[in-house]
Amino acid sequence: MSLPELKLRGVSHAYALKTVLEGIDLDLPAGRVLALVGPSGCGKTTLLHLCAGLLVLRTGAIENGFRNPAVMFQQPRLLPWKTARDNIALGLKAAGLPQAECISRAQAMGHAVGLDAAALDQFPHTLSGGMQSRAALARALVLEPDLLLMDEPFSALDIGLKAQLHRQLLDHLARRSLAVLMITHDLMEAVRLADSVLVMASDPGRIAHRIEIAAPALTRDDAFVHRTTAELLQAPAVRECFGLEAPPDAGMACEGSAAMVVRIGSAQPRGKKGFSC
Amino acid sequence: MSLLRAWLAGLPAYLWSGWGAVASLLLLLAAWEGASAHYGALILPDPASTFATLHRLIDSGAAWPELAVTARRALAGLALAVATGSLLGLAAGVSMTASMMSRPLVTVLLGTPPIAWLVLAMLWFGADDGTPVFTVFIACFPIVFVGALQGARTLDHHLKDMARVFRLPLAMKLFDLYLPHVVSYLFPAWITALGTSWKVVVMAELLSSADGVGAALAVSRSHLDTAATLAWIGAVVGLLLLVEYLLLEPVKRDVERWREVGHEPA
Ligand SMILES: Nc1ncnc2c1ncn2[C@@H]1O[C@H](COP(=O)(O)OP(=O)(O)O)[C@@H](O)[C@H]1O
Ligand SMILES: [Mg+2]
Repeated sequence: MSLPELKLRGVSHAYALKTVLEGIDLDLPAGRVLALVGPSGCGKTTLLHLCAGLLVLRTGAIENGFRNPAVMFQQPRLLPWKTARDNIALGLKAAGLPQAECISRAQAMGHAVGLDAAALDQFPHTLSGGMQSRAALARALVLEPDLLLMDEPFSALDIGLKAQLHRQLLDHLARRSLAVLMITHDLMEAVRLADSVLVMASDPGRIAHRIEIAAPALTRDDAFVHRTTAELLQAPAVRECFGLEAPPDAGMACEGSAAMVVRIGSAQPRGKKGFSC
Repeated sequence: MSLLRAWLAGLPAYLWSGWGAVASLLLLLAAWEGASAHYGALILPDPASTFATLHRLIDSGAAWPELAVTARRALAGLALAVATGSLLGLAAGVSMTASMMSRPLVTVLLGTPPIAWLVLAMLWFGADDGTPVFTVFIACFPIVFVGALQGARTLDHHLKDMARVFRLPLAMKLFDLYLPHVVSYLFPAWITALGTSWKVVVMAELLSSADGVGAALAVSRSHLDTAATLAWIGAVVGLLLLVEYLLLEPVKRDVERWREVGHEPA
């Protein structure tokens, strides 16, 4: 039996008359971490909701071979009338596991992401934003998913909290094989966590640039992340996506060792040639 | 059972927090006493003689049957309004069209004074129990309906998406998602409806019935017995306050423990 895979081919999406995604192709094999980076409003959430089956796919194809996907949304989306513990146990309860097992597994996963017993007893509105994000992460991880879809999960957190949660996610990835499709607008976060980084351009949303990072995520230190992010930011395509001016030495952009540019989207409609973002 | 235990456990702290309310009630009594001294006992008997009259009414056994009759009518009308208002309101809230169509109707119902319904009810039901029960029902129905409608309309679609992604079965969606949210809107509406039912039933009885507190009020008015009138009013208001603050308010706090004080759900 072959390993499962998430495969998107020519995926486009429009809200009413406004095209927000056009010709997205991507492959996410089992156990890989893929980051989608792009400016706000370029259609990242839309793409993730298409993958999660929350939006109806109209154009293109999505093949999802994973059996047990879990989602972490842009906001924590905890049920306000349930304690953090019961929120974490929600998916287990939905799967029909016995009450005692739900609670003990929720508790263990809560501890693993840094929620103590007192925090687990609280209702979401008394938890800080960081605590709520932890609960949302635990709620997804406790299902032991084989695919995790994450939508800017840590964007509202300060850098310290972000680093802690990155560490907890990486620890989890080291223990279990898990494919992650992670959406972010933070290049550094993408470079720290992902095996592949895809940069999206807006209007309409499409993939403009791609790099693969060979070094295992757990071995990447701050210096590596800064260097790679800086290299990535030299690429004219990436600068243009984020609306930055072209660098003075644009010609030598992509000579960085870790960077390999693969241009996708050559089949641009509307008569555009090649790509420009 | 756990609700009862929580109610008993929370009672002391809750009563202690009631000192502010007690103080303001005592202030009201003082003002009453002052007004009574100024206008004379015929216009406004002082609190002490009012409560003495009330005590006599209760002791003689005259009060309870009337209160029971009134309570029966109020609760019958309220139960009807709660049942139909909750069901129809939820049903209307689920559909955009239905909620838009029901809005003006509800405004009309809310805007029609209960006394107008009472006159119609007297024509339809005569001196029967039907008159106060119907009037209570029609006065409470729109309150409950609006609560249920808002509960159904305001459910966050983000939470619905979450429920879908985590593959919540229908029963869990119902009991863990829809019900707690809807109850947080319905419960306050039920409490408001209870207060309304109690007020409206007395008015309806006053004009249409031969028994009940309202009828007793009519009799004491015709005897120009201000003390008895005030005693009946005190009995009705006191009973409502007891039910609301000793029973419903603690239950409400328990049901809505998860919600920040003064914070509306998104
Ligand atoms: N439900 C919707 N109806 C209409 N337009 C939408 C809807 N959701 C998002 N959009 C629009 O689609 C574009 C992409 O949105 P989104 O996928 O949320 O972007 P991102 O997550 O990258 O910030 C935005 O311009 C947004 O205004
Ligand atoms: Mg988004």
